[in-house]
Amino acid sequence: MSTIILIFIIFLGGAILTFLASALKGILKEVLFLASVFVPVVLFFTNISIGQTFSFQAAGFAFQWGITPLSYVFALIVAGLGLMAAIYAVSAMRNKENTGFFYFNYILTIMSMLGILFSRDLVSFFIFWEIMTWSSYLMVVYQGKDVQTVGIKYFIFSAVGAYAMLMAIVVVYSLTGSMMIDSLVQSFPGFSFDMQLLIPILLLIGFGVKSAMMPLHVWAPGAYSHAPMAYSSIFSGALSKMGIYGMVIVMVSLISHIPEGHWFREVIAWLGGITAVMGTLWAIKQDDAKKLLAYSSIGQLGYIIVGVGIGTPLAMMSGLFLAVMHALFKGTLFMVVGAIERQTGTSNLTEVTGLIRKMPWTFLASLFSIIALAGIPPLGGFIGKWMLYESLIVSDHYLLVIVIFFSSTAAFLYCYKFLFGFFLGQEETEWSHVKEAPAMMVVPMLILAVSTFVLGVFPGLILNPINEAMQTLGYANTQGHLWEMSVIFNEWGNQVAMQPIVYTIIGIFLFFLTFLTIKGYKETRYVTTKDISSSGEVPKEHENLTFSMNFMQPFFRAVEPLMRRQIDKYYNGFANGMEALFDFTRRIYTGNGQTYAMYVVIFVVLLLLLKTPFSDN
Amino acid sequence: MESIWYKILGAIITVIVAFIVGLTYMGLSRKITARIQNRKGPPFYQNFIDALKLASKTSAIHHGFMQHVGPAFMMITSIMSVLVVPILTGDQWFSNLNFKGDLIFLLYIMVFGPLGMALGAGQTGNPNSAIGVTRGLSQMVGFEIPWVMALVALMMQYKTTSIVDLINIQQEQGVWLMFSSPFAFIAAVLAMLGMFRYSPFDIVGAPTELASGPVSENGGKYLFTLMSSNSIFAFAKLTLYVDLFLGGASNIVELLIKTFAIYLIPMLYGTVSPRYRTEQAIKYFWGWPLFFGFLALLYAAIF
Repeated sequence: MSTIILIFIIFLGGAILTFLASALKGILKEVLFLASVFVPVVLFFTNISIGQTFSFQAAGFAFQWGITPLSYVFALIVAGLGLMAAIYAVSAMRNKENTGFFYFNYILTIMSMLGILFSRDLVSFFIFWEIMTWSSYLMVVYQGKDVQTVGIKYFIFSAVGAYAMLMAIVVVYSLTGSMMIDSLVQSFPGFSFDMQLLIPILLLIGFGVKSAMMPLHVWAPGAYSHAPMAYSSIFSGALSKMGIYGMVIVMVSLISHIPEGHWFREVIAWLGGITAVMGTLWAIKQDDAKKLLAYSSIGQLGYIIVGVGIGTPLAMMSGLFLAVMHALFKGTLFMVVGAIERQTGTSNLTEVTGLIRKMPWTFLASLFSIIALAGIPPLGGFIGKWMLYESLIVSDHYLLVIVIFFSSTAAFLYCYKFLFGFFLGQEETEWSHVKEAPAMMVVPMLILAVSTFVLGVFPGLILNPINEAMQTLGYANTQGHLWEMSVIFNEWGNQVAMQPIVYTIIGIFLFFLTFLTIKGYKETRYVTTKDISSSGEVPKEHENLTFSMNFMQPFFRAVEPLMRRQIDKYYNGFANGMEALFDFTRRIYTGNGQTYAMYVVIFVVLLLLLKTPFSDN
Repeated sequence: MESIWYKILGAIITVIVAFIVGLTYMGLSRKITARIQNRKGPPFYQNFIDALKLASKTSAIHHGFMQHVGPAFMMITSIMSVLVVPILTGDQWFSNLNFKGDLIFLLYIMVFGPLGMALGAGQTGNPNSAIGVTRGLSQMVGFEIPWVMALVALMMQYKTTSIVDLINIQQEQGVWLMFSSPFAFIAAVLAMLGMFRYSPFDIVGAPTELASGPVSENGGKYLFTLMSSNSIFAFAKLTLYVDLFLGGASNIVELLIKTFAIYLIPMLYGTVSPRYRTEQAIKYFWGWPLFFGFLALLYAAIF
């Protein structure tokens, strides 16, 4: 039996078995759950080689599964993050209700994401896409809160995206008579101009919904924050990347081959830029850490869309690199919020303060991820941001680079808000009982956080598979010309060499750490956060000195005009209008037989009246 | 010349020079401000006395690990900037890390320290510190936009992102970029007002209002490290401006004259201006500086 089909059988069987085992108490279902994620992932890494395919016929369609260099990059994200989040989830979901249901959907999501990446034909692509949508929808409504608003919104947008994609698939089939992605790519340049525009737009609507592109992003803040955090970690980290994966195929394999492709790319890139700015601004405004991270995900996906949209070798490289980095740091940050929520019972930044001494390892993980998110060297986020800026500057995108710069500078505000809100500030007695999260939650976070550092010093580790993926997409080999193991170049030949920089940074840090610590840290005593300089008065224990409400108020006074318009309001207005329309139709379709009989009579009378007396018969 | 030890020696000398020059400039600014306000003012070497006093003090208390390492983070930014910015043109000894990082890298390493320092300030629990940090971050979003516009204009016009290349271009053409890209220079200088945090943009430290903001709760060695880091950072920023717009400097005297001339701009502007509120500061940078930034981009796009 082919390993490919074996992987999916194990996933599916594992999901069902875990669901059935949910009645059992104890460790069995956790072991089952971990095994059914672990075994296929290990099989994937050991037994699957690029180019290996598996074909079969069913229901009149030819199915083909196999992995390409491009999908391998994304499969790394799914498998790596999926594994870490699974370990985390076991500990995070312990003592919760309905864990069987959670595990079932979790495994199905991982399976469907790998399925999307394996699909070489549009039918199985669509089927796996729908499994992914359904399993993630069930996770959004898992906690049973706001099903009517958040759940429905996610569902409607997913449905719109799915129908758009289905329409595109049907059009493709009617034009080419084949469901293979390769045959679509080959015959696309020969299509008529209308079709050349219609198919990418329909597909991009489908992918844009999942990757939370403006103006299709409105479901994301609610959905990301309502799913259990163990799931949000892959929801934002990996599942949104499926949209990016589809977008890369559409942008590179389809759109570059049409004459107007250039303008198409510009529009997508600008949509990405606006997504980045608005996502960032709204993230700063949030007081709930989950919402903050959700909006931040939208913003970060905006950068990726910009990179993919511009499509020069450096830009595409930065887009894919940022996709990997975003999975790492955003996956970690959602886990951090989950850990804090588990230990304190809330994820509100205005309530929780001063956890740094109680949860030091969680703090360390979030510090690394935040530095990576902000794009500060020497962590991996910087590499992606640097390549994005350089690609925009080299390709003469004057204004877009300013827009991106604005949003990534503003991102520092919510980065600081996140760290300060949870870990720093006044230590209040209300949280003095808080303990560090269990090791099974902390270790995955730390592994992901440290990997952002490793990829920052040696970006070549992940740029190598990205380079291979880009070569199959038709780009030239960029190794040695745009990147080496730890050096990155732009197209003008300017470079950033990470190794000497990192060694210098570590050297300076150690020197001054020693300078500050010698004859210092041991002899000095720790004083509480109440023992501070406040004009000579010593604050009492009960005095509240916490600063967390309206945290970035002065900033918002300046940017208010930008945030007055919200696309969500228009959607809600549209929804209300539709509701009124349905209300009106309900008055016609009353469901009463007598009314329908009357309609028939009226119709016949009208026909008789309109019938011209001069007709032949 | 190739040995790593020569490199390290060169780097150490650079840092010491930057430290001395930066502290002297700060002392001079105190003196000049005093004379403008018709006071006598402290001697120009007063800051050295302060630094010496702080360095020799022993701290009795600390506020936890993040506060303890905050000043070290700040030092990383200052020293990295001074190592990446070319100090003297065409010099073999002090080339440091000039070829290892470019302008975008410099922009990002410049926020590393302040953010680390801000985390340290956050751990102290002093509300003034946190307020100062939020103000500083907001103001940074303000001035960073015209500043980046100026840099992007330069980078696009001369098709390079390396500072060394920009200096070489000025020497080949014989014209300073200050004259060949005037709008970028104006935008960059206006952005500099915010970068140096003199009045009216001293909203972060905000004497008499926030009790020195993020720096409060730091004393002794912590304050010494922060103070020397500030002076090194100031020197790095001034040298960057000289490199970008005034053609760099080939010897130390030329460098001192040019950097001091640039330094006078935010200082003198500060002595005659009262403090802005945060949103006023942001809106200031999104007014004329932004306009000149756009002009600079337009100029770069056309020529």
